[in-house]
Amino acid sequence: MSAPPEAPPRPSAIGAHVPLIDGIEKVTGRADYTADLDHHDALVGRIFRSPHSHARIIKLDVEKALALPGVIAIVTGNDCDVPFGVLPIAQNEYPMARDKVRYRGEPVAAVAAMDEAAAEAALGLIEMEVEELPAYYEPAKARAPGAVDLHDDRPGNLERDVHHEFGDVEAGFEAAEIVREEVFNCGEVTQVQMEPNASLASYDPERDRMILHTCTQVPYYVHLHVAQCLGMDTSRVRVIKPHVGGGFGHRSETLNFEIITCILARAARGKVRMKLSREETFLTHRGRPSTRIKVKIGMTKDGRMTACACETTQAGGAYGGYGIVTILYSGALLNAIYDIPAVKFDGYRVYTNTPPCGAMRGHGTVNVRYAFESLLDLMADELGLDPFEIRRHNLLEAPIETINGLMIESYGLPECLDWVEQASGWAHRRSNLPKGKGLGLACSHYVSGAAKPVHWTGEPHAVVNLKLDFDGGVTVLTGAADIGQGSDTVLAQLVGEVLKLDLDRVSVIANDSRITPKDNGSYSSRVTFMVGNAAIEAAEKLKGVLSAAAGRKLDAKADDIECLGEIYRVRGGQGPGLSFKEVVAEAVAHEGTITVKGTFTVPRSHQGGRYRGAGVGPSMAYSYAAVAAQVDVDADTGLVTVEKVWVAHDCGYALNRLACEGQIQGAVWMGLGQALSEEIRYFNGLPLAPNMLDYRVPTIVESPHIEVELIESIDPNGPFGAKEASEGALAAVIPAVANAVADAIGLRLHETPITPDRVITAMVRSAREARRDQPGIGDAA
Amino acid sequence: MEFMPEFRTARPTTVAEAVAIRAAEPGSRFLAGGTDLIPNIRRGIVAPPTVIDLAGIAEMRAIESLDGGLRIGAAVTLAELANHERVRTAYVGLKQAAGGIAASTHRQVGTVGGNLCLDTRCVFYNQSEWWRRANDYCLKSKGDVCYVAPKGSHCFAAFSGDLAPAFMVLGAEVEIASKSGVRIVPLTEIYQDDGIDYLLLKPDEMIAAVRVPAPSDGFRTGYAKSHVRSAIDFPLAGVAVGLRREDEAITDLRVALTGTNSMPLAVEGTEGLTGGPPNEAMLQGLDALIAKQIQPMNSTFSPPGYRRRVVAKLTRSLILNLYRDG
Repeated sequence: MSAPPEAPPRPSAIGAHVPLIDGIEKVTGRADYTADLDHHDALVGRIFRSPHSHARIIKLDVEKALALPGVIAIVTGNDCDVPFGVLPIAQNEYPMARDKVRYRGEPVAAVAAMDEAAAEAALGLIEMEVEELPAYYEPAKARAPGAVDLHDDRPGNLERDVHHEFGDVEAGFEAAEIVREEVFNCGEVTQVQMEPNASLASYDPERDRMILHTCTQVPYYVHLHVAQCLGMDTSRVRVIKPHVGGGFGHRSETLNFEIITCILARAARGKVRMKLSREETFLTHRGRPSTRIKVKIGMTKDGRMTACACETTQAGGAYGGYGIVTILYSGALLNAIYDIPAVKFDGYRVYTNTPPCGAMRGHGTVNVRYAFESLLDLMADELGLDPFEIRRHNLLEAPIETINGLMIESYGLPECLDWVEQASGWAHRRSNLPKGKGLGLACSHYVSGAAKPVHWTGEPHAVVNLKLDFDGGVTVLTGAADIGQGSDTVLAQLVGEVLKLDLDRVSVIANDSRITPKDNGSYSSRVTFMVGNAAIEAAEKLKGVLSAAAGRKLDAKADDIECLGEIYRVRGGQGPGLSFKEVVAEAVAHEGTITVKGTFTVPRSHQGGRYRGAGVGPSMAYSYAAVAAQVDVDADTGLVTVEKVWVAHDCGYALNRLACEGQIQGAVWMGLGQALSEEIRYFNGLPLAPNMLDYRVPTIVESPHIEVELIESIDPNGPFGAKEASEGALAAVIPAVANAVADAIGLRLHETPITPDRVITAMVRSAREARRDQPGIGDAA
Repeated sequence: MEFMPEFRTARPTTVAEAVAIRAAEPGSRFLAGGTDLIPNIRRGIVAPPTVIDLAGIAEMRAIESLDGGLRIGAAVTLAELANHERVRTAYVGLKQAAGGIAASTHRQVGTVGGNLCLDTRCVFYNQSEWWRRANDYCLKSKGDVCYVAPKGSHCFAAFSGDLAPAFMVLGAEVEIASKSGVRIVPLTEIYQDDGIDYLLLKPDEMIAAVRVPAPSDGFRTGYAKSHVRSAIDFPLAGVAVGLRREDEAITDLRVALTGTNSMPLAVEGTEGLTGGPPNEAMLQGLDALIAKQIQPMNSTFSPPGYRRRVVAKLTRSLILNLYRDG
């Protein structure tokens, strides 16, 4: 009797360096993004934008523009009186301004025309008469007594203030042997995703149906808001997300241009293509607000933290958007990284006459983390403690519930610190670097999906459908939005892993609301964790169906069937078993085309506490990162060059090492941009750098060598133990660079970006102060 | 991308033909690499009815030997210039300037003439039509106010070309073609310190070529600039230095700057600093010359004080490096 047949060796679908399944299309240029879609029969859509920062609209005259040959339709704020906004409790934005404009660049009207020239000419003929109102570009001015309110229901221009205290903060500071407080300021930054915004809306006037193709991270929210603003039943709207060239949070809420395109298409009774310029994409903004952070830490002399108090003020822009969530995140994630017995947070989200800010990568946590990690370094220095030592003195021990109700079940920060210390040669190199060079360290963390969806319906948090038919291909149907981060790939991998099938057998159909199950979208690093778990459940169900089919053929119980992917056989049996195709044929013969569903819901235990604002911060798992940066500071020019970055990221189990490493490198680049060169500045509310020349995103020339280490603390709830792998490291990059600069020049700047002129200003001021403090020394210089 | 208006394109094959079209069609513009002109057209800053594409003029695309020096066609690309064997070996400052402009893709198309004629730049000017209109335009284009110096009536947009200072310290001349023929003038004489009328070329004139004299023995050149990013950015301030060292003394010193004024600035008075080594007194003398002649303004994101300081620092270190190597 021969030995049972061996299954052919099959590489696991997870845990390896797996190229993204849509990589070929993207690298060869075959992938169609929204602007690439067939638009031969589409009208050209253009938006007329407010030239005023804050003004009451007296009159808007579009008659001349409408009379222009080639102009088919013009819509204005009169065409939609239903506000929208990602948070159901803070919907105060109209697709086009109605009574008031609140920032320069705000959409006021839109044109659909036969060609670009006619659309352009029409924009020039729209006449707007206004009564100018005082405008505020900084929170202090917007909050000043007597300031005119941007929104009538928000007196004092305060969108939301948060006052949270956990633990006994007063006692904590009393117990401290050293208490320090510093103020830090972060410039406003934005995503600058590669693909400028675009939508293609097709309206069927006979049937009153809308098909919208758009470059979004949140097709479901777009679907809801289009239906809401157009007064259409949701069943009449179909939203399709083509390939998307990045998001980073810019697209994690419905954006005005998407609704406007639909309003235009309906008015024109046809198809409209809206392609925003890079400048318009900057004007749409939704990036990270400029933030003032006052942070105070108390600790014992050996570096053990006793309390923290933090006051954060954000210039949120003119509309609500995600603002409330942003300010809540800033406070909530002061916790869950270190063991701090008492934490107080006072947050102020302020309306300003600037483009709305939003949920940029590392949502709400990044600027606070920069301030916190900078102060930690300052205090370590004062206490004579090594930056690694002071952080190690304050580590958490998982599993733990934090003082603000966050559940941490996996915690790889200690291992992150160990690797970074070792890899960077910290111990022997930091004190031996040449003049002008420095090493800095910082840590950060992030959620793996917000436990409470912003749009609460009671539904499961994620649903994945799998279809298997006569052809033997497994199709994953998902509403999760692949925006370049690789979510399609990870879902294919997870399904492949459960069914032991090569990725060749698995296809992913994503983001067509007619076909794929609803998904909340790609934000808060939720897809791998939530949709991934749903995909595993669906795949397990499918395996059950196939095992039952195999059992029928092999005269065995389903439980006794062993799935080897391409072969199903009786466990421990002697026969050759059945091929996958044979099993599929039996399964389909039994019940026809097979469709199974997997879902995932975060249990109540992980959805946070019961206080106001408790819904922001909870997650089933947190990622952790430690980053060391080595910089060189040119004493003549003040230019900071980042020479090397070491980053260890605890992403739980690394389902796709290639994708994880790529995401983490991207987080480093984005962090470097905010740390050193990116900043939105306004001149009377006009962004001074709404282009990629003056808004200085680092180029590949500025990219240091980045060493990435994946720390795999297996999370008990993650899909195969996986957690978030993209946002967590970003926040640490900025303070790591800031701490390295401080190490290099012996001076700390309290502001980002750390531009050459700011470095020189700091150095000159410091030299002047040194001379003043020590008369007689250096006077001649 | 911003809207591209329609224009006619003329494709002359000789310099004479190009300047004839320019003279015949008011408002027409010469197009070489287009890295400056095309964004300005898209932004509605200029709206030429005709664009005269110089790509087909073979005589403008050559680098030739001339009297031991070089004659560089104005349509030679920045990449061709930076990679040219004689430029790399005999005109190091020029190579450094050309090779550091913008990014490699820009250098594949950007040209010598384009960089010499580069429109002056300002954050209030290099913006879209919508932006400038919302800001009531500015002095340089359609408006009455200079936001950089609101009380004055002078435009302070900064000249930001890298090549001009590098050519200036070499004593380069330009061939200026027009309907009436070709005139040859020192490069320093085609600019004036006015952000609007920074070029002293007549409307129908065009730079056809640059003439660089033969390298003289022991004369060394270098170029350095300040920037935030090492690629893409225009110089916040740039400096070209040419010097000759004989024994311990600097016997010839030329310094030219960019990014500090509305024209590339050949620093005057450097001959008075020669005759000795670059000691502190000499360098302070140079600091003073530069400080007096430059006028950086708030036309970029980096404040004028920073650019003042950095251009002096860069000049010092460039001189010391060239002196040490010489």
